[in-house]
Amino acid sequence: MSSWVGASVPVKEDLRLVAGRGRFTDDIGAPGMLHAAMLRSPHARIVSIDTAKAATHPGVAAVILGAEASRLSGPIRPLIPTTAVAPDFCLAVDRVRYVGEPVAAVAAVDRATAEDALELIMVEYDPLPAVVDPDRALEAGAPLLYPELGTNVVWHDTLSYGDVDGAMARADGVLRERFTIQRYASTPLETFGALATYDAGTDAYEFWTNDQRPGLTISIVAASLGVPQSRIRLSCPDIGGAFGNKRRPAYLLVCALLAKRTGRPVKWIEDRIENLTALMHACNGVMDVELAYRADGTLLALSVRDIADEGKNLLTPTQHNLIKLGNIANGYRIPAVRYEAWSVLTTKCPSGANRGIGKPFMCFAVERSMALLARRLGLDPAELRLRNFVTAAEMPYTTPPGAQYDSGDYPATLRRTLDRFDYAGWRAEQARARQEGRLIGIGIATSIEPAGTNLASYELITGKRMASGSAEAAMVRMEPDGHVRAAIGDPASGQGYETVIAQIVADELGLPLEGVSVARGFDSAVSPWLYLSGNYSNKFSVTDVGAVLGAARLVGDKLKRLAAHRLEIDPGDLELRDGAAMVRGAPDRRVPFSELARTAYADVLGLPPGETPGLEAHHAYQNPLAAPVDAERRVRSQLVFSNAAHCCLVEVHPRTGVVTLLKYVVVHDCGRELNPLIVEGMVHGSTVHGIGAALLEEFRYDEQGQLLTATFLDYLKPTAADVPTIEVEGMEHPSPFTPLGAKGVGEGGAIPGPAAVANAVEDALSPFDVTIRDLPITPERVWHWMQDAR
Amino acid sequence: MGWAISGSSVAATARDDPPSFFLKPAPFRYARPRFLADALELLGAGEHDVKLLAGGQSLVPMLNLRLLRPTVLVDLNGVPGLDHIAPLPGGGLTLGALVRHADLAQSPLVRERTPLLAEAARHIGHPAIRHRGTLGGSLAHADPAAELPAALLVLGAELILEGPRGSRTVAADRFFQGLLATALGPDEILTAVRVPAHGRGWGFGEVVRRSGDFAMAGVAVVIDRHAPAGSCDSARIVGFGVSDRPMRFADSERALLDSDGGDAAARAGAAVTCDPPADVHASAAYRRHLATVITEDTVRQALARLSA
Amino acid sequence: MMTAAERLTIRLTVNDRPVEREVVVRRSLADFLRENLGLTGTHVGCEHGVCGACTVLVDGRSARSCLLFAVQLDGASVTTIEGLTPPDGLSPLQRAFCDTHAMQCGFCTPAMIVTATELLAQHPSPTEEQIRDALAAQLCMCTGYVNIVRAIQAAAGARPAMP
Repeated sequence: MSSWVGASVPVKEDLRLVAGRGRFTDDIGAPGMLHAAMLRSPHARIVSIDTAKAATHPGVAAVILGAEASRLSGPIRPLIPTTAVAPDFCLAVDRVRYVGEPVAAVAAVDRATAEDALELIMVEYDPLPAVVDPDRALEAGAPLLYPELGTNVVWHDTLSYGDVDGAMARADGVLRERFTIQRYASTPLETFGALATYDAGTDAYEFWTNDQRPGLTISIVAASLGVPQSRIRLSCPDIGGAFGNKRRPAYLLVCALLAKRTGRPVKWIEDRIENLTALMHACNGVMDVELAYRADGTLLALSVRDIADEGKNLLTPTQHNLIKLGNIANGYRIPAVRYEAWSVLTTKCPSGANRGIGKPFMCFAVERSMALLARRLGLDPAELRLRNFVTAAEMPYTTPPGAQYDSGDYPATLRRTLDRFDYAGWRAEQARARQEGRLIGIGIATSIEPAGTNLASYELITGKRMASGSAEAAMVRMEPDGHVRAAIGDPASGQGYETVIAQIVADELGLPLEGVSVARGFDSAVSPWLYLSGNYSNKFSVTDVGAVLGAARLVGDKLKRLAAHRLEIDPGDLELRDGAAMVRGAPDRRVPFSELARTAYADVLGLPPGETPGLEAHHAYQNPLAAPVDAERRVRSQLVFSNAAHCCLVEVHPRTGVVTLLKYVVVHDCGRELNPLIVEGMVHGSTVHGIGAALLEEFRYDEQGQLLTATFLDYLKPTAADVPTIEVEGMEHPSPFTPLGAKGVGEGGAIPGPAAVANAVEDALSPFDVTIRDLPITPERVWHWMQDAR
Repeated sequence: MGWAISGSSVAATARDDPPSFFLKPAPFRYARPRFLADALELLGAGEHDVKLLAGGQSLVPMLNLRLLRPTVLVDLNGVPGLDHIAPLPGGGLTLGALVRHADLAQSPLVRERTPLLAEAARHIGHPAIRHRGTLGGSLAHADPAAELPAALLVLGAELILEGPRGSRTVAADRFFQGLLATALGPDEILTAVRVPAHGRGWGFGEVVRRSGDFAMAGVAVVIDRHAPAGSCDSARIVGFGVSDRPMRFADSERALLDSDGGDAAARAGAAVTCDPPADVHASAAYRRHLATVITEDTVRQALARLSA
Repeated sequence: MMTAAERLTIRLTVNDRPVEREVVVRRSLADFLRENLGLTGTHVGCEHGVCGACTVLVDGRSARSCLLFAVQLDGASVTTIEGLTPPDGLSPLQRAFCDTHAMQCGFCTPAMIVTATELLAQHPSPTEEQIRDALAAQLCMCTGYVNIVRAIQAAAGARPAMP
């Protein structure tokens, strides 16, 4: 029997998106709706704010300030467990901690009028000294973002596993390097936004938003507004990309307060400058790596000192650090590991869970170190990796910090990549090109990619268990007409969930694909959801699938029981196929679903004893791999691991330093591919994110904490002309630990991409003996490296 | 260290302003005259801050960012007769100020008589930008990294300005006066450009971060050589993105003219002197280096065309 | 002397239909299409002319609707994604986009269709380089462009050969 799962089924959502019939947050309106704009600020203490002229400006309905917001709403709770807590309201109250933090909001008849009103708000500021460099922010005497915390260091700790010092002492050598990474972000094309409505009659709020963590957001917003969660309704329509960026409860709160004040719906859509300046950046940082090895290249120990620059982030501090720890060894067998890290606040845009969350930097540091070690030892870079990979025979393999690699054949993945790339052929071509004075380089990078999450891991940070695991909920309902509807608590932002979930449910219930409809987005009144519901950590394959399967199975089992009762046989003799329950081996003995639905809904006296009416099931699922931190401070902070190998070819212009990507091959293994068409697209897109971070994207600040790259003129995203076709091949080593054997693929190439490109450029520059330690690799940097080497 | 210009003149305008988070323009009034005289009258009205709208590809972002707040926006797109491309006796072209970049790039007449100009226009942004952006708008805005001002300077073009006291002609080398500053008076409108034909020996090149971006540095070159080989008789080498306006690389021109045998292009490149700005995309030193590389490359291009 | 106005009535053609509206002069064409006409298929991504999400056809040529004021379009014709979608079903280009899964979140897709439509009208059999060059005007954050290139190649290949 053929299966929908695993087939490259066309993506149903595409049919509406290609016609411009998607429904995004800014497409939604409401009668009497007002538009909001946020007044943003320099980095300063707020001395006074005068809103008199703004409030009376024609077309303005309300103005709200931080002081008032702090009386009308409670502080915003963090999104993850943390012990660094300081009151933060939806608008800055007496001081601003980064350039661009909102200090006031206006609701007016349209956005342009609201912006006119912002210009009429008179604010007296007392500038504060900025601290933009994390090294400086660490120092005693540095300006403090939160004086009540007494420090800018949210967390500093050392976690050690195995005898690192002993291994270093015994080693034949230790490679020592310092790497840096810049701030960048995935910048979804649709910006963040929300439409809030307040119903005075029921003291309840309704939101439309593209927030990708509805479970958390509802909880935070309800607590802040002082209403029970049951008086919050939150819906997500189509979301124009998220990549971890879209979660900022503060903005929903501002809209809610304005809606309550004015008695009208209030919509706020972030503009691009606000998005680049104030929504979310991946942490920049510095990492010192010490890699101990034997002369034959065997890795003995890895010691890392990592400073993560969080900007003004009390919502999700230490997240980058924790995730780096969980992925520290990459795909290698490294018996002893030490991780000393700082999570540091600076007066910059808050950091957050941008695609990869620290793994791109961790992978960069490890894969760059491997490339340098190969050079040092005179080994082929692929060979060095092959000597150290965890092998398929060792799976499941637990790394020193406790990450469990569940399945995969890392050596085979790399070999297939090199084969497909024609590594030997291009090495020969490179030699020929060098003779002509052309600088061609080949770069390899391999990665692991975790999926699912386990909040218990934050006990490493906070010292206590405040939340744990991860979970998702799903609903499957066969309607009276036999058609099936499904919904989950995780809003899609381009991953094709409506299609994949339909595939899973259709398989379970033996239906054609058209027989299943999946709800768009999220609606807290309709979708099943939990506190932990949402789009994060590649959790779909690990968690959501379990919820969907569970709910589908409950409905399927009931259909079988109803049919068994009708046919007077045991339900175990039945299978669900072609829209009916039929006796296995005797397909003429069947009851169509429409019949069973009629009994379940209309002719309820016909139900077997003990059965309830209806054909609807909810199921919530947590993946059992999540477990608490153990006595040795080991934990599975994420649950299953995909892997990939990238190989790319670059050419460096010898006089301008411009880097051109000529070829890019990815072989990846995300276990069972639920829909290969969707999976391949994820790998394309995520790899281009990695390329962008490697070559183009950088949020740069001046000494006063002002962002210098605040428009798309200066913050450069890769275009179709900047990247070659990403050639992708998939291998499938299913996970033994997920409901369908699928693993994560959402972060994909964003993780090893920067390392692959950097390794290629360094290889191209071998005549100059350059070592690449910093990103991004701009033409000017390349030129300097070539100059310095001469 | 000099002023900072980012990927566009937007940041240059914004340098001393507090950060702007706006992307809806401040209120203005709008007029769409159908006669040049009306446009001039609106411009000269005096009590208002009036801006002319042509292509809008540079102006509208600045309006959206509220870096510019004119009280009146005068849309020139309704004035007929400003978009001609016509031959001049003697070989050159007259071009109306409202000629779109796309039309400049595709016009058979431009490609035949002043191919350097077509090539320069081809490098501007992307098709959607070129469909609206205009020759006159680009010249009046005078972004130091723009292609068309450099092209006009190297070709020795003349710009026709209309004002309340009639029309006057300004040579390109007097028109571009400083950072976003031109000879255009506050009550004048650039209406046309006269471009002499140029010979076979032309070259054009720029270095960008991504295709369609503003140039970090670029060069336009026109070289004449009567004899089939040997030294050149005349050379005009103009750099853009390397100063506050397009500039002649006089030292490079001299080096090229003095070159008899040997690598003339390399000598021209090495002789480049300029004091470029720095911004997030490139430092002054790197721009200066790019200027030498592009000068060499474009001179080589021009010499190759001469020999072809 | 000619006066300058704060509001104007404009008459234009949008997707082959006559439209007459009074509009504030500083309203962008993008906002006019989306909010005044309810044509929300055209999206806003940056409002400074770089991302391309707002691209429509103006008098048959692609243009950034965030860099045009609605009042400039008096007498002009505008085509949006809604005008490039047949009343029933999808165009061959749109079907090619679906066949190759040339989108993920869909936010850039209408603009990609507009740009691809223009490209194929000018170059019925474009090379990959020509395709990537034309697409360079449009940012996509999801797909890495691979499938969009494939969709355009498929749509081009599916056309009958020119005589």
